Amino acid sequence: MSKQINVALIGNPNTGKTSVFNQLTGLKQKVGNYPGITVEKKEGVCKLDRGVKAHILDLPGTYSLNTTSLDESVAVEILLNKKDKNHPDVAVVVCDVENLKRNLLLFTQIKDLRIPTILVINMADRMSRSGISLDIPLLEEKLDTKIALVSTRNATGIDRLKELIIGYQTLSANPNIDPSVIAPDYFKKLEETFPEQERYKLWLVITQDVNFMPIEKQLIKDRSSFATKSKSELKRLQQKETILRYQFINGLLKETYRVDRNAAKGFRAGLDKVFTHKIFGYLIFFLILLAIFQAIYGWSKYPQGIIEDFFAMASEWVKTTLPPGVFTELLAEGILSGIGGIVVFVPQIAFLFLFIALLEETGYMSRVVFLMDKLMRPFGLSGKSVVPLISGTACAIPAVMATRTIENWKERLITILVTPFTTCSARLPVYLIIVALVIPEGRFLGLSYQALTLMLLYLLGFGAAIVSAMLLNKVLKIKSRSFFVIEMPGYKAPLLKNVAYTVWEKTKSFVVGAGKIILAIAIILWFLGSNGFSDDFENAENIVRKRIATNGLSEFNALAMADSLAVYKKALKDSVQKKVYRIGDTAISDSLKLRTNELTRQATNQEIASYRLENSYMGHLGKVIAPVVRPLGYDWKIGIAVLTSFAAREVFVGTLATIYSVGSDEENTDTITQRMGAEIDPITKKPVFNLASGISLLLFYAFAMQCMSTLAVVKRETNSWKWPALQLVFMSVFAYLVALAAYQLLS
Amino acid sequence: MSLLQPLLMYITLAVAVGYLVRKFFLPKSLFSTKKAKSGTKGCGHDQCGCS
Repeated sequence: MSKQINVALIGNPNTGKTSVFNQLTGLKQKVGNYPGITVEKKEGVCKLDRGVKAHILDLPGTYSLNTTSLDESVAVEILLNKKDKNHPDVAVVVCDVENLKRNLLLFTQIKDLRIPTILVINMADRMSRSGISLDIPLLEEKLDTKIALVSTRNATGIDRLKELIIGYQTLSANPNIDPSVIAPDYFKKLEETFPEQERYKLWLVITQDVNFMPIEKQLIKDRSSFATKSKSELKRLQQKETILRYQFINGLLKETYRVDRNAAKGFRAGLDKVFTHKIFGYLIFFLILLAIFQAIYGWSKYPQGIIEDFFAMASEWVKTTLPPGVFTELLAEGILSGIGGIVVFVPQIAFLFLFIALLEETGYMSRVVFLMDKLMRPFGLSGKSVVPLISGTACAIPAVMATRTIENWKERLITILVTPFTTCSARLPVYLIIVALVIPEGRFLGLSYQALTLMLLYLLGFGAAIVSAMLLNKVLKIKSRSFFVIEMPGYKAPLLKNVAYTVWEKTKSFVVGAGKIILAIAIILWFLGSNGFSDDFENAENIVRKRIATNGLSEFNALAMADSLAVYKKALKDSVQKKVYRIGDTAISDSLKLRTNELTRQATNQEIASYRLENSYMGHLGKVIAPVVRPLGYDWKIGIAVLTSFAAREVFVGTLATIYSVGSDEENTDTITQRMGAEIDPITKKPVFNLASGISLLLFYAFAMQCMSTLAVVKRETNSWKWPALQLVFMSVFAYLVALAAYQLLS
Repeated sequence: MSLLQPLLMYITLAVAVGYLVRKFFLPKSLFSTKKAKSGTKGCGHDQCGCS
């Protein structure tokens, strides 16, 4: 049996632990140039040498072993608990070469736990640019350890790290510092009372804020002979310990670490001044957002056109090539339409993630977090809440999990409850299709109305989150106080590989994750729309043909046909006048007759399809929902889409695509957007998607909690059904009322 | 042959309904194995990442 070494990767946030993890294991966990990416431990295995494997554990970032938040406690639990199956044989502490002084605090603490510890000094590629020089052998001697100088960006130093892991048994497990000097009597008594325990481990268990290792804490309480100090005294001793450690670190760095100040800081400090300026900082962020939304619209047009045409052609190809029958219809009208309705948004989603990845990679996102802290405080949030809120633009699920970095429970709970207001990628297709249908294509100061509307919707989501946070801050009676510390990473040129990987992963997870649900719902909807139990459904063709023979085509179809004929007649006459065609009046009359017959046939087929859909299972279900959604300006078809999208918002578009596909005649090759735009409300005789109903829909989706998976994650993170239930009721009722008010005002 | 199309359609429908029921209405614990629960292991390149 091969030997396996347990390795724990640990370090301050944003030191590149996950990049080291990826290089060691060959896995591809998400990395980013801002803190708080890893909030759960990640595992991987790496074959180091013949017969030797390393089980690598990537732990969430922590500044010290004095934990204050849930994600940090994950790391400390594993290091302190020798019975934990993941307790490391060797700890690898990852540091950033530019922040070595602060990063070494954690290193000395781990070393004092008597765990063999390797120091990885990462981001070595920045040394020359920042004017840093290091005396590695002397640093190794002073810290009593082995060091690997690594650049994960250039993939250097990883082999050295692997060698050190293989030889971990030769590493010294001696502590760096004797913490008992901060309170000699107290530590002496501690040792006498618990002779079987390690001193520094005991000290950590006694002083932790986070309630972990309850059994060991209980043990300490049970030994009545030992009087633990008061909380404030313990805090004071913790501070003394930190000072002691920094004295040690300062001393050794004086001899081993040199920075040529002329080479460093100037550029970064200058940029920081501008990006975090109290006026220009916000202005720049606003302009960046504007540019992003403008680009999302401008750049996506062409690939979207290609995708739309592809699905329309594929549907046509299936209908004409496969043998006729219900399965062929299901493929063409249900599956291809449903999936096509969502795939068409891939370019826009990919562009959005491209920009987010670029902002993360360059280090700008951390400046946004810093900038937002001031803005957030009055609303009961902290700067750390910005990371989940920004992550929420991709998906609320990882965003809710990212709140684990917030140490204060009240701030964390508020952030969890308001994060689903942020505009996630699932809302994007809904917004895009409605905006395209109801917002005109004009421009304002060079920016399209549609892009501006989209940006307003994003800001609206963010605003709703902040206002809700303020309300919750007043309502929730939880006493707490917090501080905000954030790592300011250096500016980096984005690594194309990381950016491309993020865009690919996010887009893929959107298409695959949402795609499966959409496909399943599209199939069921197609069945419900293509089958019915009443005589009206069975005899739809006879009933409609009889009605047309008696009363003619419906008013809308008759008008549309007249318009179409007028255009055709004019075009024909123009062609004759310009002598494109040399035909007489009889030929013109025949041509018009043919065209009339063709249009009548198409309109009749359209009316049969609509009548059949209205009397299908789905039509009956829609009529049940209609009274609830009618005041918001929606017809029964939109009502069905709202209902099905309770599972996931993006299902809305897939549902409409399927409904309009089933409800149109077989020869119709229009795109879904064209079909939706042409839909007329039989009651109001106006387009179903008009400005009032469109704005009402946009607002409904901006505020509604249409995502079952998010509710499940909120339940897990709050350990109670109370909060997700409250979230669901509040967001749904609020969304309904706002949509109602918008429609009633605008119509 | 005429039965094939309805048969395929109903099989597809059953799979779709089954998928949604499993995804949203049945507890996840019914389907997850112990191994899947234990973490985020996976395989990478160069013989790494596979236990």
